[in-house]
Amino acid sequence: MAIGRRIWPVQGDPLRRNPSRAARPRPSEPGFERWMWYFTRISGLLLVVLAMGHMGIMHVLVQLTGQQINFAFVLARWGNPFWRIYDLLLLVLALVHGANGARIIIGDYLERGGLRSLLIGILLAITFVWLLLGIFVILTFNPDGAPAIGPFS
Amino acid sequence: MFGYRISWSQLAWFGHRLSGVGVLVYLFMHIVENTTLVLGPGVYNTTQTYFRNLPVRLGEILLMAALVYHSLNGLRVIAMDFWPATTRWYRPLTYAVIIGTIVAMIPLGLIMITPYAPWNGR
Repeated sequence: MAIGRRIWPVQGDPLRRNPSRAARPRPSEPGFERWMWYFTRISGLLLVVLAMGHMGIMHVLVQLTGQQINFAFVLARWGNPFWRIYDLLLLVLALVHGANGARIIIGDYLERGGLRSLLIGILLAITFVWLLLGIFVILTFNPDGAPAIGPFS
Repeated sequence: MFGYRISWSQLAWFGHRLSGVGVLVYLFMHIVENTTLVLGPGVYNTTQTYFRNLPVRLGEILLMAALVYHSLNGLRVIAMDFWPATTRWYRPLTYAVIIGTIVAMIPLGLIMITPYAPWNGR
């Protein structure tokens, strides 16, 4: 007896392992790829809250309350450790989640070989540098130590 | 247009990739922009003025739409991967993600465009 329209869970269907029809089914062997499969979903769940919260504050609340994002705004925000930890968590999760997604996209469109390895290598190198840069800015931001007038102002 | 029939599920999947890559590119730019905090208030405040114009604001609205879509579609993917029974509503849920994004972007877009909107005394 058919109840509703069940598109997916059909016994014997090789695509049964990929109910969401995401880019990849859950890797059957344990290891790095399976770990990243879970990481993408769990970090995605956290990022829905963190990123939407961030956008809601920076682009909606700031607009509604007639504020402006400037140095004083960041100073007030990062004076509170809660927002520093929030931003740090958002930075690390978003960058790793995004870079891993880009790695899978590159792998989908390029055959195994030199160009694929080169592009993924460049992606990972850039991500690593940008991750360090972002962490550095959030952790070392010290309003007392910052110069009052910058070299380009 | 594509020479063959393209389904909404294929479009939803492609939209997930496109919005993900878009947000990632923005994130790289955002980190560079925030690094100017290290150079002090003068540089940071000057840099911020480069972002206060209509083209950038339209880009920010597009960014918001990409994030809302990626979030909603991602929640659908998570639900279906961990609870395969939800695939019974594959099609309605895919439509709900698309419609939900459009509905959410109406108030969000209106709020974000306010400073440049004709009804705001311009």
